[in-house]
Amino acid sequence: MSALLAVLAPFRIVNEAVFKLGRGIGVICVAAMVVAILIQVFYRYVLNNALPWPDEAARFAMLWMTGLMAPTAFRRGGFVAIDMVVRMLPQKVGALLSLFLLFVMLLVLVISVQIGWSEVTGFGGKFATASLYVPLDLSFTEWFRVPRSWMMASLLVGIIMMISANIELILRSVISLLGGADTLPEIPGAENVGAE
Amino acid sequence: MLIWFLPLFLIFLMIGLPVVFGLLAAPGLLLWLNGQERDITLLYRNVYNGMDSFPLMAIPFFMLAGELMNRGGITMRLVEFAQALMGHFRGGLAHVNILSSMLFAGLSGSAVADTSALGSMLIPAMEKQGYSRRFAAAITAASSVIGPIIPPSGIMIIYAYVMGESVAALFLAGIVPGILVGVGLMLMVKVMADKYDFPIASAKTTWGERGQASLKAFFPLMTPVIILGGILVGIFTPTEAAAVAVAYALFIGFFVLRTLKVSELPDILGRAGITSAVVLLLVGAAMAFKTVVSLSYAPQIMADFMLSLSNNPLILLLLINLLLFVVGMFLDAGPAIIILGPILGPIFVDLGVDPIHFAIIMSVNLTVGLATPPMGLVLFVASSVSGERVERIAKAILPFLAVEIFVIFLITYVPAISMTIPRLTGFVE
Repeated sequence: MSALLAVLAPFRIVNEAVFKLGRGIGVICVAAMVVAILIQVFYRYVLNNALPWPDEAARFAMLWMTGLMAPTAFRRGGFVAIDMVVRMLPQKVGALLSLFLLFVMLLVLVISVQIGWSEVTGFGGKFATASLYVPLDLSFTEWFRVPRSWMMASLLVGIIMMISANIELILRSVISLLGGADTLPEIPGAENVGAE
Repeated sequence: MLIWFLPLFLIFLMIGLPVVFGLLAAPGLLLWLNGQERDITLLYRNVYNGMDSFPLMAIPFFMLAGELMNRGGITMRLVEFAQALMGHFRGGLAHVNILSSMLFAGLSGSAVADTSALGSMLIPAMEKQGYSRRFAAAITAASSVIGPIIPPSGIMIIYAYVMGESVAALFLAGIVPGILVGVGLMLMVKVMADKYDFPIASAKTTWGERGQASLKAFFPLMTPVIILGGILVGIFTPTEAAAVAVAYALFIGFFVLRTLKVSELPDILGRAGITSAVVLLLVGAAMAFKTVVSLSYAPQIMADFMLSLSNNPLILLLLINLLLFVVGMFLDAGPAIIILGPILGPIFVDLGVDPIHFAIIMSVNLTVGLATPPMGLVLFVASSVSGERVERIAKAILPFLAVEIFVIFLITYVPAISMTIPRLTGFVE
């Protein structure tokens, strides 16, 4: 048991820190989306000048928001599921079923990460975005056109974070199956997150 | 072989796999068994492409606007306004609860947000006046389904995105059905109030007091006008209107009511972001699922089956309402729409049902499903807000569900209820 708790600790600490960073960047992404779309509205209707980039920039931010914030919901148990059966079963059996489900999720995530990697590094990722550029120096004379892979990496990063959360959840599940539920440190912020 | 993805998905769902994973695991497994490994890559691509959408961005924006208004004390002003109008009736607070939901629906597109925002305020207040907690929670949950029916609406954004309909037309078509649900619930409260002698919330307000409450609620109440007006006149797309709603909520919170603090913003943005991320991932996964739906010929098989039962659209609409109602008991409205919309929509459009009318039937039915036992999402939210057990709320909500089912039938068989406003405004031919 203590060995399992020792394995769990690094996952918990790393996840805690990385997910917090992810949420922080996610917050910036949400703000950036709002600002980009408001600029779009302002330029089109007030200045009569339709800008090419806000649409794509906002989608860029939205995808990263999803990639970086969905893992937090996953770790907190915020993904919508029907837990009726698990709760109806005798406690031990229910816990075993939960563990099995976590392994099914792990399988989905591991397959996804393989596909995701080949997508990001593959042919599709090499195309450039339509309108996104970043400056290469501080004088803003040289600009680099952002490749699509930078956008596609959002989902890949999200999946990798979810794998890390999934392993943590599996360890927690095994520990509580072995009777150590009260030794588990709480996951902060676990609450209902709905998706109607 | 591939057609088995649907039962497999249901099995995954029933044993408790999160919906997102079920949507990917069931078709993925069958594609693999079928030797179509290459198509599994297609699943992944569709998750990504499904999320990479400008129209869907309205969802995080409307969530953010709702969250901002709630934190900024706007919800409170709406409740006070509703109280000034309806508090003096027998069963006053129950009426206030329903009217507040209708007003809140014009700011937010989510039943869950409605339940948690209004529930945390009104359930304790109702209890204090002598209503039972289960009744207070039940009326909160029952009226919260108006949230996604009266525009803006997250569910209708998803429907429009999946089915290629106009968001504006759907928003407009939802107005009357939403009001109808509200009025129906009020009538039911009135009947119950007379029978069980419900308390009166407050003395009758004077016109002066009403005017004051309206003035205080003026800025929040302008939100739907800005959103819908902007879309109607053609100034904004729905996504842009949603961003403008965020700006407007910020403006009210910081400059008009001065109830928001900059230090609260990261938390508000974070909450809206996390909830939206869950929804977007779900939409992405459902879009991937949808590709397998079409690969499997499920729509044709389903259409043949349905048409073999009857080719009378009226009877089929009855059957479909039953099906949707059962589905809505177990599945949230968003995923249900993405999975079933593409299967069912074309069948009814071929039979002569207007696509917008069908969209409203489906959206309202599945939204009511959010408040039906055993798996209604808002029942769980109402339970966590009130501390009452889900089973007890589920029992107390039954009379209100009966009203909502009746409204679903009205909407189904009287197309004018949904179609008149979109027709008059020229959004539907």
